Amino acid sequence: MLCNRCKKRDAKIYYTEVVNGEMKEQHLCEECAAECTRFHMSSTFVNKNVSVGDILASILGNYRGASNSKANEKADKKADTQGEEEKKDDALRCEHCGMTYEQFLQQGMVGCAKCYEYFNKVLSRSIKSLHGTDVHVGKQPKGYVSWMSKIVNELSEIEKKSILLQEAIEKEEFEEAAKLRDEIRRLKERERNTTKKTGIGKEESNREEINNA
Amino acid sequence: MPKWYEEQSKQSDVVISSRIRLARNFAKYPFSPKLTLEQAELLCEEIHNHLEEKKTKLEEIVGKYYYYNVIKASEIEKEALVERHIITKKLAQKKQPTGVIMTEDESVSLMLNEEDHIRIQAISSGMNLLPLLEKANAIDDFISESLQYAFDDKLGYLTSSPTNIGTGLRASIMVYLPALGISGKMDKLIDEVSQQDVSIRGVYGEGNKSLAYIYQISNCKTIGMSECDIIQNLITIVDQIIKQERNRREYLLDSNFDKYEDQVYRSYGVLRYAKQISTADAMTLLAQIKFGYDSKIIASEETPSFYKLMMAIQPANLQKILGKNAGVKERERARAKFLNESLPELIHL
Repeated sequence: MLCNRCKKRDAKIYYTEVVNGEMKEQHLCEECAAECTRFHMSSTFVNKNVSVGDILASILGNYRGASNSKANEKADKKADTQGEEEKKDDALRCEHCGMTYEQFLQQGMVGCAKCYEYFNKVLSRSIKSLHGTDVHVGKQPKGYVSWMSKIVNELSEIEKKSILLQEAIEKEEFEEAAKLRDEIRRLKERERNTTKKTGIGKEESNREEINNA
Repeated sequence: MPKWYEEQSKQSDVVISSRIRLARNFAKYPFSPKLTLEQAELLCEEIHNHLEEKKTKLEEIVGKYYYYNVIKASEIEKEALVERHIITKKLAQKKQPTGVIMTEDESVSLMLNEEDHIRIQAISSGMNLLPLLEKANAIDDFISESLQYAFDDKLGYLTSSPTNIGTGLRASIMVYLPALGISGKMDKLIDEVSQQDVSIRGVYGEGNKSLAYIYQISNCKTIGMSECDIIQNLITIVDQIIKQERNRREYLLDSNFDKYEDQVYRSYGVLRYAKQISTADAMTLLAQIKFGYDSKIIASEETPSFYKLMMAIQPANLQKILGKNAGVKERERARAKFLNESLPELIHL
């Protein structure tokens, strides 16, 4: 297909732009696309050996470029703030491996696992724009204990049951709530008896008795 | 032992093969862009040693396997592995220590220090994504038993490139779409599937004009869906494409049988008697002969495995068959001779 604009060169880019809710579709050649749209063909695209990283870097570059030009259309003051923010993003650096955000944009690859923490804000935005979400729902490594499970594991039996009790009350499942309340009472009773026997934590159990009273 | 591509499958008129790839990194090493030479060497050694220690257990999952130190392999050897899709071009060209573990039937390969620390790959002929995922998962679990992966509660498996983050899964199906290709339907199809987080690209040749009408269909989205859902989505789309391709073939043959019959016989004639031939020409003709077999225009006692022939005539693999380095002219003659002998006699239908 020939380019819609110059009608001479082969159209290589299918360009869709939504302006004020109106969709405009065009088939353009590289030159016309660079001239009349926000899409800029980087030299990596012209190079035949394009890697996914190159494409990603280019998309992210365009993404920023687009937001930049949007900012230019608005008040100067706002554009300045945007520019400053981008400068701040570029200055981001992973303390663990030394990779800067700018280097990441050039290569399309992070330097280590910690980069995802250091570049969290900007990376989460680009992951969402690539995949539509940044929340993993698939497989976990065998035997992996998540941060949440670690916290849950550290809770005592009474604490776990108290959370469940709260949940049951919120869901208005009063039968279940009553059951849990009794179980908590029993557990507390047992705890009190053991502390009395061993004599340890006498002060604590005293405090608890006062609270109960 | 027969290679995976020598096996015939039910949908072999359209589907050539299925492939599962899992990208994984280890928490204690920097990722590829920041990995030093020494660390790369340590990484390959550590994974290799770990696998060797429990060799019997791994062989229970994948069968007999070999370890290749890629950087020490000859250029032809590396190129041949790339042509057979065991390793990627990126791995073959890497200047750092890299490695590959591959099984005897070439259906499983583990690439060490490619873009990610380890890439687990499982291939088979036909539509087989779910059993392949099971196999890749078993290898994945085996590795994670003693080496800790870089994994995040929210983001999942952390990969060098955010394009693979989450599951690290790339599921692909290699298909043969001559009718859709001839009819100029590919651009529209590529557009349509991209809206469903799936991509189609030509395997041989460049851009959308794929040589021999062989395309790879893969998932784009790697996070926010479970592995099974990603695969199910891909299978649904491929099923639709198979239907479209079959309908189109029927239409082409109904409307212009004489033209395609002539083309198939001409292609067979050339490949049976040519004295020298380039890779691109041979691929195109092989694709047309395959179309002839699939459409029952021609037949032989035994149907040849076209994909196997296509891989064998690539430059590096051809030189491996020849057992020596050969220039372009010599290769073209050897390729023609190889194909003259590989194509079976036709039987009258």
